[in-house]
Amino acid sequence: MDALHHASAFSGYVYPNETIIPWSVLIVVYPYLTGLVAGSFTVSSLYHVFGMQQFKPVARFSMLLALCLMVCVPMPLLLHLGHPERAFNAMITPHLTSAFAIFGYAASFYTILLMLENWFVYRPQIVQIATEGKGPLKWVCRVASLGSNDLSEYAMNYDHKWIYALAVIGIPAALGLHGYVGFVFGSLKSREWWSSDLMPPVFLLSAVISGTALVILLYVLTSLARKVAIEEPCVKGLAYTLWGFLMFALILEGLEIASMLYRSREGIDVIVTFLTGPLVVPFFILQIGLGSVVPLLTLTYVIVRGSKGRALTAAVFVSAALVLCAVLLMRWNVVIGGQEIAKTGKGLVSYEPEVFGREGLIAAGSVLFLPLILMFVATRIVSPWAEETRAAVLRGRTPA
Amino acid sequence: MKRDDKPAVPARRIFLRDISRGAACAGAAAGAAGLLAAASADSGKSGTGSAESFPTPDYDWNKHRWAYAVDATKCIGCLRCVEACKRENNVALDAHHFRTWVERYVYIDGEEKPHVDSMSDPLNIEASGSEKLYRFANRYKDAKVDKAFFVPKLCNHCTHPACVQVCPTGATYKTRDGVVLIDHKYCIGCQYCVQACPYGARFFNHAKGVTDKCTWCYHRITKGLLPACVEVCPVEARMFGDLNDRDSVVSRFIRDNRVQVLKPETGNAPNVYYIGLDKEVT
Amino acid sequence: MPKHIARLVLLIVAFGVAGLAAKAFFTTDSFYRFGHYRADSVPEIAALTPVFQTPRACRSCHAPRVVEWSASSHKSVTCEACHGAAPGHPQSLQATIPTDTVRLCTQCHEKMPGRPLSSIRQVDSSEHHATATQCIACHNPHAPKIEAMAQKPAFDRKAVAASAAVCAGCHGENGVATNEAWPNLAGQNAAYIARSLGSFKIGARKDATMAPMAESVADDDVPKLAAYFSSLSCHAPAGKRAGNAAAGGKLAIQCSVCHGDNGRPVNTSWPSLVGQNSAYLASALTAFKDGQRTDPFMSPVARALSDSDIADLASHFAGLGCGATSN
Repeated sequence: MDALHHASAFSGYVYPNETIIPWSVLIVVYPYLTGLVAGSFTVSSLYHVFGMQQFKPVARFSMLLALCLMVCVPMPLLLHLGHPERAFNAMITPHLTSAFAIFGYAASFYTILLMLENWFVYRPQIVQIATEGKGPLKWVCRVASLGSNDLSEYAMNYDHKWIYALAVIGIPAALGLHGYVGFVFGSLKSREWWSSDLMPPVFLLSAVISGTALVILLYVLTSLARKVAIEEPCVKGLAYTLWGFLMFALILEGLEIASMLYRSREGIDVIVTFLTGPLVVPFFILQIGLGSVVPLLTLTYVIVRGSKGRALTAAVFVSAALVLCAVLLMRWNVVIGGQEIAKTGKGLVSYEPEVFGREGLIAAGSVLFLPLILMFVATRIVSPWAEETRAAVLRGRTPA
Repeated sequence: MKRDDKPAVPARRIFLRDISRGAACAGAAAGAAGLLAAASADSGKSGTGSAESFPTPDYDWNKHRWAYAVDATKCIGCLRCVEACKRENNVALDAHHFRTWVERYVYIDGEEKPHVDSMSDPLNIEASGSEKLYRFANRYKDAKVDKAFFVPKLCNHCTHPACVQVCPTGATYKTRDGVVLIDHKYCIGCQYCVQACPYGARFFNHAKGVTDKCTWCYHRITKGLLPACVEVCPVEARMFGDLNDRDSVVSRFIRDNRVQVLKPETGNAPNVYYIGLDKEVT
Repeated sequence: MPKHIARLVLLIVAFGVAGLAAKAFFTTDSFYRFGHYRADSVPEIAALTPVFQTPRACRSCHAPRVVEWSASSHKSVTCEACHGAAPGHPQSLQATIPTDTVRLCTQCHEKMPGRPLSSIRQVDSSEHHATATQCIACHNPHAPKIEAMAQKPAFDRKAVAASAAVCAGCHGENGVATNEAWPNLAGQNAAYIARSLGSFKIGARKDATMAPMAESVADDDVPKLAAYFSSLSCHAPAGKRAGNAAAGGKLAIQCSVCHGDNGRPVNTSWPSLVGQNSAYLASALTAFKDGQRTDPFMSPVARALSDSDIADLASHFAGLGCGATSN
């Protein structure tokens, strides 16, 4: 790896070792993915835990989505590590004072939880394929069903209890999994841009809104693709969720910046230069303006107005798309922005991402879209819309 | 396919069910017992260790408490230390990886803030002729300079190192003689420690895929030598010694001067003691 | 409970047990011994080989030079600071003899804002003897102060004269050689004589006669012998000289950079060329030209000279007589 490739231009004075930015765009994608996991799981648990019936159309879908996202979460980290083959060192000898060490166990625990949850939710379909399917998939499902075809009421009762229990455990687990990501940044003394007690809640809330937004987007798109009616209570419920958490997220982010500016510690001059210079477009105009305030106003309008039908769907869809971009930008502005402010408090570095290469934009983009591909493949095997297609399955449809 | 209501289970099945449950529990218990045994065998290895000298037969780390001192009023910015460190420790020969470096602060008449530059400054790279050689460009010789000075910097080998705290694997650690080291065979290269260090002392060694930093030339000090930077400094601006020895250079330095450390507000408790710092030195 | 639940629980427990077992198995032996790290890493790091030796290491072969240096104002500048680290020297590596001394010396001595004058003497290289191409033309890097160079080291004349008797066989009673092919030592710069003896001692300069001779001189006696011969009076060589002194005089302009305007260099670690036999001067230049003697400065200079040039130069310098002292 030629170090000179990554050397950054700088202004003012920065420590010589800061002229190479350690965490690249991959470390922007990583919290984005974990955030989407937490968010889509939250949507799912609105139905499975809180019994909000309006979310039923998306409950199983977002559960499966959470799993597909979670499986991809280690990827950006492995691409970034200097020695990915040693990655398990953090699980073999976890240094418990380090938030990163928690990642191995929290992520494993959460992955297993999601796998179990999805297994229980889709077990009837797995059993169906195991008994009536054809080809290699039948044998995979026979193993996956643990050799049991029991779909009796007694068994299904057990399943429902497990789904409920797992979903209940899953909420603090999700909060912990993504809250620790915020803690990774917020707990550091070395960077004023990161060091804040508000970091974990800010990350968590932006995670919830990004996951909700993704679910909205995919719900609308899949409904259109399947030529199925979009259920208005569901869209409305998702809109309320997005709206509420977005307000909360904006307030906390605003508080964080306000605190920093109010305290005006040493080095604030450079931060203000950064905010009023390189950060104007990506932060104020795009993340806050276009990505947060516009969706907030749009959602306020449709909710207060009581919009219905296509108008509601369109407004919510557009708001969700903007929020999804805003949260990605938020991760960028935090991770990259924090590293662009030098630890000297006297200078700024500028990050120029490479396009090719292990830590380049193409690699990051591929990792970002991989969960969607996985989701596409998964929905060919099991159907999140089981109630509707159960009849089709019973008629002996063999998945492709 | 089972019927909907719970059927009467034959006694044979109940027996088989109970047996398999018992076997599962026994297996789990056996596994747990085995692990406990392994764990206690592990912990038997820890503790005070054997009586032999560690880490080498000629050097016992229990006998030393190392510290470093810098007299920034003497530094002439010749950068012999930077060159020597790179040579001694095989550090990448470019302007972006440094175990130690020197900063120059120049106050120009009429300006409140100083001009600060170091080894990555393009003008200095030009003055030396390449990124492999190090020199300060003499760009202020015709300016009205109010005050100017040089400050050498290196890893502070803190008593409460933030880098050690955040390492997920235990690849970086503080030795009993007070040196913070990196295990290049165990580091996974996540660079969290690079982020956590408030002083910018750590960097990523792209050649080895691990992080790297000043080690106070541990391989030299355990043999009775001085770190390369201290050895080579022509004006004795850098000093190194044992705090356990009241008469060592560093002990006397701390006793005879009003010493400061960099960024004390971090709570890291650095072990590099300076005189000659200035309000603008961060 | 339904059998799929039972099997699931079993699977989870088995997975957990396997995980813990794997964790115990893969933990390296020395981990946790002294703390949360691999204890074996410490001796691994301690075992790395140092690159920079110290002046102590140089002293074993280069004692006279080290003695000269450690009494000088450069005593805080370690040998390797200028000569570069030379691990494996002398077996596998030559230590560098710097050739661009302006670049080397100005790295510390260039006048620059921020360099405290109390730490180091500084010059503005664009003004300080700007025409000189090398700092070492005037400054002995191992004893750089010009004032110090004029001082003669003290020695016990009677004691040294006794040991100098051995040298008289070739170099004469009064430091004037008995054979024109051999060098006169009378009035020669002490630092240069000491350096030459040091070179013979370690074999950097080869001569079948001088090698054992130099070997037999104790390290501590070298500066005393050198001072003794330096104190003897210069003797202008008589006799016929081959070569054209006038032509040699024109060529000699380039020599004055190091050897001084009239054959007496400012830097007394360079040889004075006055009071020297022309035959010896010629043989020395020829030795540099042929490569029998090597020196980073003299070798390229000598290679640029033809045989007749050498004869002319030798004639010129021998003809200068003892002349007035330049400083």
